[in-house]
Amino acid sequence: MSVLSNIRAKLQNGERLGFDDGVALFHEPDLLALGQLANELREARHGDRTFFNKNMRVEVTNVCVASCLFCSFAKLEAHMPDAHTMSLEEAWKELSDRMDDPPSEIHVVNGLHPGLPFEYYEELLRGYKRIKPDVHLKCYTAVEIHFFAQLYKMSVREVLERLRAAGLDSLPGGGAEIFDPEVRKKISDDKATADEYLDVHRIAHSMGMKTNTTMLFGHIETYEHRVDHILRVRTLQDETGGFQAFIPLAFHPDGNGMKNLPAPTAVDDLRTFAVSRILLDNVPHIKAFWVSSGPDVAQIALRFGCDDIDGTIVHETIYHSAGSGVPQGLTYEHLVRLIQEAGRVPVERDTFYNVVKEFPKASVGEAAFKVRDRKAKKHLAVVEPVRSLGGKEIAG
Amino acid sequence: MSAEKQDQLRVAGVRYLNARPLWEDLKSDPRIALSLEIPREVQRMLAEDEADVALMPVAGAATLGDVFFVPNMAIAARGPVQSVLLVSEVPLEKLEEVALDLSSRTSVVLAKLILAHRNIRVRFTDLDPTTARTPQEMREAVAPVVRGTRGAVIIGDPALAIADAFPYRLDLAEAWQEWKGLPFVFAAWCTRNPNFAASDVARLQAAKTAGLALRDALAEEHAAAHSLSPAILARYLHESIRYELGDAEIQGLTAFFDEAYRAGLLPKTEVRFTAPLANRPLTPVPLETLLGRAAAGERLSVAEGERLLAEASLFELGLAADEVRKRKHPHGVVTYIVDRNVNYTNVCTTSCRFCAFYRPVGHPEGYVLSREVLGQKLQEVVDAGGVQILLQGGLNPELPLTWYEDLFRWMKAEYKLGLHALSPEEIIHISELENISTAEVLERLHAAGLDSVPGGGAEILVDRVRRRIAKTKCSSEAWLGVMRTAHRMGLRSSATMMYGTTETARERVLHLAKIRDLQDETGGFTAFFCWDFQYENGVRIEPGDTGTHLYLRQQALARLMLDNVDHIGASWVTQGPDVGQVALRFGADDFGSVMFEENVVSSAGTTFGINAAGMETRIREAGFKSARRNVRYDWLTPPL
Ligand code: SF4
Ligand code: SF4
Repeated sequence: MSVLSNIRAKLQNGERLGFDDGVALFHEPDLLALGQLANELREARHGDRTFFNKNMRVEVTNVCVASCLFCSFAKLEAHMPDAHTMSLEEAWKELSDRMDDPPSEIHVVNGLHPGLPFEYYEELLRGYKRIKPDVHLKCYTAVEIHFFAQLYKMSVREVLERLRAAGLDSLPGGGAEIFDPEVRKKISDDKATADEYLDVHRIAHSMGMKTNTTMLFGHIETYEHRVDHILRVRTLQDETGGFQAFIPLAFHPDGNGMKNLPAPTAVDDLRTFAVSRILLDNVPHIKAFWVSSGPDVAQIALRFGCDDIDGTIVHETIYHSAGSGVPQGLTYEHLVRLIQEAGRVPVERDTFYNVVKEFPKASVGEAAFKVRDRKAKKHLAVVEPVRSLGGKEIAG
Repeated sequence: MSAEKQDQLRVAGVRYLNARPLWEDLKSDPRIALSLEIPREVQRMLAEDEADVALMPVAGAATLGDVFFVPNMAIAARGPVQSVLLVSEVPLEKLEEVALDLSSRTSVVLAKLILAHRNIRVRFTDLDPTTARTPQEMREAVAPVVRGTRGAVIIGDPALAIADAFPYRLDLAEAWQEWKGLPFVFAAWCTRNPNFAASDVARLQAAKTAGLALRDALAEEHAAAHSLSPAILARYLHESIRYELGDAEIQGLTAFFDEAYRAGLLPKTEVRFTAPLANRPLTPVPLETLLGRAAAGERLSVAEGERLLAEASLFELGLAADEVRKRKHPHGVVTYIVDRNVNYTNVCTTSCRFCAFYRPVGHPEGYVLSREVLGQKLQEVVDAGGVQILLQGGLNPELPLTWYEDLFRWMKAEYKLGLHALSPEEIIHISELENISTAEVLERLHAAGLDSVPGGGAEILVDRVRRRIAKTKCSSEAWLGVMRTAHRMGLRSSATMMYGTTETARERVLHLAKIRDLQDETGGFTAFFCWDFQYENGVRIEPGDTGTHLYLRQQALARLMLDNVDHIGASWVTQGPDVGQVALRFGADDFGSVMFEENVVSSAGTTFGINAAGMETRIREAGFKSARRNVRYDWLTPPL
């Protein structure tokens, strides 16, 4: 029996997949057959519905004491020329400037700044709520929360409670990287360990908070490490049920300590999305973060197990400093179209996946879709730096 | 459209003598808009909705797949037909090669089936007596071909006029009758409208009755015009050709479709009728059955292709295409080429609406590359281990044929690079400029060093779409004609499709079918690439169907439809290296080229770059081995 039919049989019998199954799935050479299985599971959960939201990302500081190899912010000290920390007013302005078409969610992720007072982080949240009381604040990764606990000498629970009192609604999934201790040591030695990361989520869940989680793949880890990572997520989810979405993030090599590694290719992205969907039987959503994979591959991912494509996002710097050539934001209409082109039903959601607005599926199945916005294609084009043999030339 | 026009019935008839009794009487009917064409054009008109009813060669009906036969009328034969003959100097069993007159695909399929049935294995080549007018000219066109172990299938007037010039002749309709005990149907009235009006059927029927009474006069007229014998022609119209489509003919037609399907020559075809015979309800096969047939490499009709595109899921299409790819290329190698696209001029008179590259004559940004600049570019290709130049440009009225000849000779003398140059549109442009045939242009360019012809400018090979994209674009038949000529000279070419403007899904499938039809004739296409129209400021056309999903589906469908084209390429230049890589799993076995530049696409705002190492990594990650190739798809490096 082939690996896939074996796994199919297990799933049909209601058997849970194990570590070996996960590794076998990653080694499955038939990408489409793998995707098809993930797609069936995705459609069983969500049908054609594909979620996105109106969100905004803010990085208030890129100063960081840690030295993650994959990060272009690593060991950036406050006095260095590229370092930047927003004043609270600057950070709030990001929202107040957008109040004519406000985001429903703000996503804040930062470097680990050693010199800011805890009140800065609290006040940041309060300020956003003052500008827009119903905005959902999904702020500070588990790594930051853990760092705050150490720096400000509080327990994780205390940190979370104070931030919640200031307006925190949920935690983003960043900072998970790869849980395996060996790999983690090599790429991200001086921040929260896997257990510490998971612990922050456990505590947040126990307080009734929902969170997301991620996996940074395609650098020095093996398939075994990826499976181990996914299964640790599954184990915690069995315990708490607090994860809403799992977000595999493709490693981008430019401008960081691993720039000699090749980036994972699109096929690896799709394979990872698919295996994540197949293994994570208890996490409702798998998200293709379009900034990481590019809008085109994210669109394909909607048939490889993903049911969420993130949001409109304005202003994203982490991936952009690492060489992502994709646009900084997609308009609402572009996201709708991106989803419709894949033959799916676009659903604008709030942070808890409640339906804000559901759109019709485009005309005939997944086959035909008419672009209404003339500029569409151009905006979706991924402009990579030209690294061709002879470079681009001006013709005679 | 005026009420009168709307009321008109658009009829396309084959203009040959044996069809005249069916349409002669329609000529004077003001309610009928009658077009008289060669069979290929008749098929095109029905396929592209330029005719409501057409006298279709039955092979064409099968290719479309969604046609209904009008009851009771046909061009058929019970026994010898006289006008479709295999002639030779030696007995059939001794034949090694047969030259085919490709103007009738139905006869070609019949000839292949009969030879296979008689266990006679031959090579096929082509024969082109279409310009011959008199028996003398026909003899001159055919006689030198039929020599020794090489025979020829001749049809129409040449068959009637010069059959007795050869010691051996096999009447193919007679051979069919002997084999199956059934009549053979060559053509019949067909429509795509399942509700074709009973009154129109009656009109065609009345025309036939009137036309049959005119047979002697028609024979005489034709004989006089072509220096043939009126007696022979009259006998031909009265005795050889049968104009009924009765039960026996329907059985014969069904048997022909079955045999041709089994031989992989035609799609699986059911004979269906318009009213009043539309008795059998349409029961479409389950999608799974169709997918299974597609994956098995069976020939698909236009209607089937259209259905797959509309109904099959991304995975179903991809997996079926991947299976076909695996069977055609079991070694699991994906190739790529190191070459360079040089646009020698951007001056162009065509002004395609999707093109942001061209400049009109006299525009300050217009350019023609100098030898110096070209030489530098070519040297860089040589230095980088490149093997070929893809040379294309606008339709520049200031460059005579000698300019190209000199350029090619110089390039060939100075640099050892393959010359993949001048798309059909440019060839036609030069032929018009010089007032000579495209064949002559190609011959002279070939002599000057042209190695192969790029398939650019095909866009969508449906004239309705072409007229909308650019008023002055060459017709689909002209584009295919240049390729036919080039292939007959031994030049190979690629085929392309640019979709995503104003075409329908059906028109994209028709495009594929036209390439497949020509490939059946010539076998000259090496590979097929498609991409969607790249929108940019400065273009003057609205984007149509587009998106990454559609690209993958479209490419997979191309693999399924183009059963006779060896290679399908993934167009990473337009889709980006990521989607291009994924596309390798959707039926592709080639990753295109490591490019230096691509002005036509990159001025449209899509700029990607990857180098050879990037290509190889992506190919391997997608589960294949990679090898460099030349324009003929020979491996230049061992697969890694
Ligand atoms: S990944 Fe986060 S913790 Fe690591 S260096 Fe970058 S900003 Fe700091
Ligand atoms: S696509 Fe070619 S033929 Fe059309 S305008 Fe551009 S250069 Fe001229």
